[in-house]
Amino acid sequence: MPPTPTDLPAYLLPLLQFADSALPTGAFSHSFGLETYVAEGVVHDRDSCAAWLDAYVRDQLTTTDALAAHLTATASAIETVWEVDDLLRAQALPRQVRDAGAHLGRRTVAIAAANHPSPWLLAYAERIEAGLAAGHPAIATALVGRALGAPASTVVAIVLHAAVTSLTQNAVRAVPLGQDAGQYVLAHVQPRVAQAAAAASELPIEALGAVAPGLEIAQMRHERQRARLFMS
Amino acid sequence: MTIVDAPPAPIAGVDRAAMGSVALRVERRGDRSVVAGQWHEGSLRTLRPLYLEPGGLVTSVIVNPGGGYLGGDAYRQRFEVGRAASALVTTQSATRIYRTPTAPATQHTTVVLDADATLELVPDQVIAYADARYDQRTRVEMAADAGYVAAEIVTPGWAPDGTPFRYEWVRSRTEVVVAGRLEVLDNLLLAPRDGVVGGLEGHTHVGSLLAVAPGIDQARVDAVAALLEGPLPGDPDRRGPDRPGPDRPGRRGVRWGVSRLGCPGLAVRLLGFDTDSLQRRLLAVMALLRGGSPPVLRKY
Repeated sequence: MPPTPTDLPAYLLPLLQFADSALPTGAFSHSFGLETYVAEGVVHDRDSCAAWLDAYVRDQLTTTDALAAHLTATASAIETVWEVDDLLRAQALPRQVRDAGAHLGRRTVAIAAANHPSPWLLAYAERIEAGLAAGHPAIATALVGRALGAPASTVVAIVLHAAVTSLTQNAVRAVPLGQDAGQYVLAHVQPRVAQAAAAASELPIEALGAVAPGLEIAQMRHERQRARLFMS
Repeated sequence: MTIVDAPPAPIAGVDRAAMGSVALRVERRGDRSVVAGQWHEGSLRTLRPLYLEPGGLVTSVIVNPGGGYLGGDAYRQRFEVGRAASALVTTQSATRIYRTPTAPATQHTTVVLDADATLELVPDQVIAYADARYDQRTRVEMAADAGYVAAEIVTPGWAPDGTPFRYEWVRSRTEVVVAGRLEVLDNLLLAPRDGVVGGLEGHTHVGSLLAVAPGIDQARVDAVAALLEGPLPGDPDRRGPDRPGPDRPGRRGVRWGVSRLGCPGLAVRLLGFDTDSLQRRLLAVMALLRGGSPPVLRKY
């Protein structure tokens, strides 16, 4: 076997695995409120979808997934990870968002434990199994990244990319959009993803869960929507 | 009347002296609740306890004679409710947050609820003026069978020409710890900005209600949703072809959401364009949670 290129970081390929919308976590079943906006006609084409995703990254993912991933990647003690998991569970006021986090989290942890195990990741899996942690995909992916020595900013960008890629694929089905429009939406939101990663590195833990009320209302209203493609 | 042993504990990160502090302890005596101790300092105090409702519930009104909150102002509150006692805490008038060029105005509230105790926290609205920054933090430690309900409204101040002032941000962060476990983190961050999605989605007023109590299950959440779906008594007549739908972002009605919490309890979020419409809804939800009778908020 030829030697591994020396300039290829050990974390890159494993993290790309977790950034892929094909990762079988069930993310294809969750719209995180997008479906409410689609049903109401607010999101109806490429540009309105890009505007929604931009707002979702800015007003929700920055202080949830991005901040949680940053805090996990830079934690000096595992207790910080447990605290982040507690806060992420408690801050998700819309029931479907709380359930989605736990569901996707358990699946991500299971895949990570089977393929990229590390002491903290296995401890997280045990804690979830014991009912002491809820589980969240951002924490699970960040634990994979930190065990492989990935820089925190890379970990956070991967976590955000995973979320926006899944959501864009879901939007392509739900709005619906063409595949090319989906790629436009993804590229359009990349500067916002970079901004969110930068912001997450500066925010205190108290900022976890600071979510815009409009997005939360849409996520709450999804529970009462009659026809639904998605579980959130 | 005895005095509460200690003033509200200093809050980490607030190293300046508080502008005003108030502490209150309510206990059950026979068939009614009484203020068993209180303490105040600076520009916060309480009015004489009131009995406005049947059932022995005691109402306490917090007064801030100093007027509005300015940059760097720090306020502290502590409310304790003893076993089987019930209290309602409200304010005498709106909390006005003025320009805060140096540092945000802050208010830290600690709530401790013993077994079977209930507290309803129903302050008047927060009015945030141009360039205001306001950081409000609440920590609730409650027994598993205690009940906690908090309702709040945040509005912009209005310029003489009728346009809303654009405040910088208002945060209201509430942690609810039930039987030693963090169950709810309500981290409401309001930063008015343009756009149909995110932020306030074109609305000016925000209402929020958090209720944590043993009886609040999915059926109760569904009842609250049914209440919020229909027009309420006192709503302006909105029939006709131009009816401003309540269920579209950016239109003139009240947009609402409600969901069940991870523990018995619910959260309500409202977006609208006036205080009265939001207040009517929050009080109606409180009445439903009480089993019918709306809270009595007599103002002086």
